[in-house]
Amino acid sequence: MSTSSHAVRFARVREAAPFALPLLVFLLVLYGMLAWTVYTSLSDWQGTAPNYTFAGLKWYRFMVGLDRFWVDLDNNLRWLVLGVVPTTVLALCVAYLLEIGAVRGIEAYLRTLVLYPAAMSFVVTGTIWSWMYQADRGVLNTLLRAAGLERLTSGYTTDPATATYWLILIFVWQYLGLAVLILQASFRSVELQEMVESATLDGASRLRILIAVLIPNIRGGILVVVSLLLISALKVFDIVYVVTFGGPGYATDVLALFQFIATYQQHLVALGSGLAVVIFALAFIIIIPYTIYALQRWFE
Amino acid sequence: MSNGATKAPVSQIVVGVIIAALVAGVAGYWAGTQRGGGMAKAEERKLEIFHWWTAGGEREAADAMFKALKAKYPDIQLVENPVAGGGGVSHRVVLQARLSAGIPPDTWQTLGGAELKSYVDGGYLEPLDSLYTELKYTDAIPKPLANAVTIGGHPYVVPLNMHIQNILYYDKKLFDELGLRPPTTFDQLLAAAKAIKAARPKMSPLALGSKEKWEAAFVLDSLLLEVGGAEHYVKLYKGEVDVAADPAFKTALERLNTLRPYIYASHPQLTWDESCGLVVSHDSAMVIMGTWAIGYFKSRGWTPGTDFGAVTFPQQPERVLLFHPDTYGLAKGAPHAKATMDWLKVVASADLQVPTDVTQGGLFARLDIDPGQFPDPIRQELQTYVRGNPGKLILDQHGSIAPFSFTQAYWDVAAGFTAKPDVAGTVKAVSELFTTYKVQEGAAWYQWP
Repeated sequence: MSTSSHAVRFARVREAAPFALPLLVFLLVLYGMLAWTVYTSLSDWQGTAPNYTFAGLKWYRFMVGLDRFWVDLDNNLRWLVLGVVPTTVLALCVAYLLEIGAVRGIEAYLRTLVLYPAAMSFVVTGTIWSWMYQADRGVLNTLLRAAGLERLTSGYTTDPATATYWLILIFVWQYLGLAVLILQASFRSVELQEMVESATLDGASRLRILIAVLIPNIRGGILVVVSLLLISALKVFDIVYVVTFGGPGYATDVLALFQFIATYQQHLVALGSGLAVVIFALAFIIIIPYTIYALQRWFE
Repeated sequence: MSNGATKAPVSQIVVGVIIAALVAGVAGYWAGTQRGGGMAKAEERKLEIFHWWTAGGEREAADAMFKALKAKYPDIQLVENPVAGGGGVSHRVVLQARLSAGIPPDTWQTLGGAELKSYVDGGYLEPLDSLYTELKYTDAIPKPLANAVTIGGHPYVVPLNMHIQNILYYDKKLFDELGLRPPTTFDQLLAAAKAIKAARPKMSPLALGSKEKWEAAFVLDSLLLEVGGAEHYVKLYKGEVDVAADPAFKTALERLNTLRPYIYASHPQLTWDESCGLVVSHDSAMVIMGTWAIGYFKSRGWTPGTDFGAVTFPQQPERVLLFHPDTYGLAKGAPHAKATMDWLKVVASADLQVPTDVTQGGLFARLDIDPGQFPDPIRQELQTYVRGNPGKLILDQHGSIAPFSFTQAYWDVAAGFTAKPDVAGTVKAVSELFTTYKVQEGAAWYQWP
């Protein structure tokens, strides 16, 4: 009896092996690289030749002594808050408007229009927006001047104090469509539709339905959107690289861009790895609530 | 049973693939260790080269280089690994990966100075003493140029050109119209800027594009050179000046701040070529840029000497040219060392330097080439000056004297200052950068004069 169950188990393992193997290789590569990066960040690698001499926290101490690091961290937090909250709220509103047919007739067009930016790469959007943001000949200021609204014109990304916000706006624009799509999909469960129907019969207003019925019941969808946006905002690199290159000075710099500069321009590889570890740690902190939620659902 | 029979091959295939991959890996490693391991086999006539001249204008210069090689050694098969993108940023990423992995190309483009030193420190380059002796190359090029490619007493690369950083380009027609003389000192620059602003209120007299940061450092450098002089300039970037207590650095920043109202305001949004474009479109009248701008102006249909002029800036207290070279060396463990040495001989020759430098925009590294080979009066004059005064060349901060880790951070601070001037804060920040990046230690190799 027992031998035959062993045989069955063995057959199962053999059956699964070919499929588990790619996963294993993937995990090995992924976590192997991660461990390697952590180790490099603790080494003394500066210059072009690898140097894995253990240096402890030397380069982390160097990192926290740099003004640029704190500017980056500050900017990354701005990205996390302003890239995620407005996008989610706006996406909820747009998705609901589309859902209740407030814009019947042009809904299909509107949906395409909103989703379109998500199909473009950040390099393309970044280039287009950097043209629009040009203070003296960009389309935004040109339109404002033509409309006689001279005092609304702005230097956009040329002012170190506000440049980051203009970059975040590009991110919001680009991710809105995707967020709308996910939220609209989560409206569509049969249960939820029935609840909305009965609430409507009870005479609830549309705003009340959104707040009291829809939002509490699409927590899963919102969580997906928020986590997606958080991770994307945290690892932002392309928009900054293309539009401002971290400038003016390093006013719009973010951790991911500094990691690139430190590693390949400054040849401070240990520092660059340390910055990568910081980004990973932040991502880890952000993803924990999502993991807990997912696990709770799993065991329910 | 039939089930087992159909499944077995799958796992067998997987195992087989893994074994094959392992064998291939070991074999590849073995082949790698055997390479250059003193085998008497005749070397292939091949040259693997890494360079970043891929953008318009520079691509033509690269072609001119390889044409010169083909003319001399038609049997050498060229393998180019240029990385698109230009400017050398992505180039350095790929090169770094190849070098750390122990599979270097035979030769690659590098600036002299600090960048070269990083490769020498990494042990990636062979010293070229015998080649220099054979070609008498040290005597053929200016001494400051030879110093910029010599680390610890050994020359490591062969320079093929010199880019000059401190040049002020100006709209010649406008200057003639307004009766202005091209400025060669700060006072003259300020006066010219004021005169242009008065005559053309819509213009920003001095163009600037600080998106890539180094452009702002160019302007600061020129001002600094006038305030402190040549010796101070070298000492500063060797980390031998206490910036926090240095009146010259502070004055240079203050002068830059004085110029700011006359500088193109949206400069953080522009790259260097776009800033030169402001002069072409008559939005600006002057720009401080390296010799490569000549090629840009020409590509926009501007004729040197007619549409635009150029002067060394500053020319007080003396006329110093800040330079950096493009160079090639021999990789340690190069698969085709002999072909590479042939290539380096071509790089050192006038046959390569004349067509390449005329196209790409720099000056000739060799002093014995007739300045009349340049089609434009600007470089004819510059090359003649270099011939007569080779000692007036100083390796610039772009190339650079100080280690690259410092230089990058320094550019950011300089660019930050042009956007938001804070003299005291910038003095403090720069002073800290010199300590943080241990400049004095890292720049000790540089000897001037």
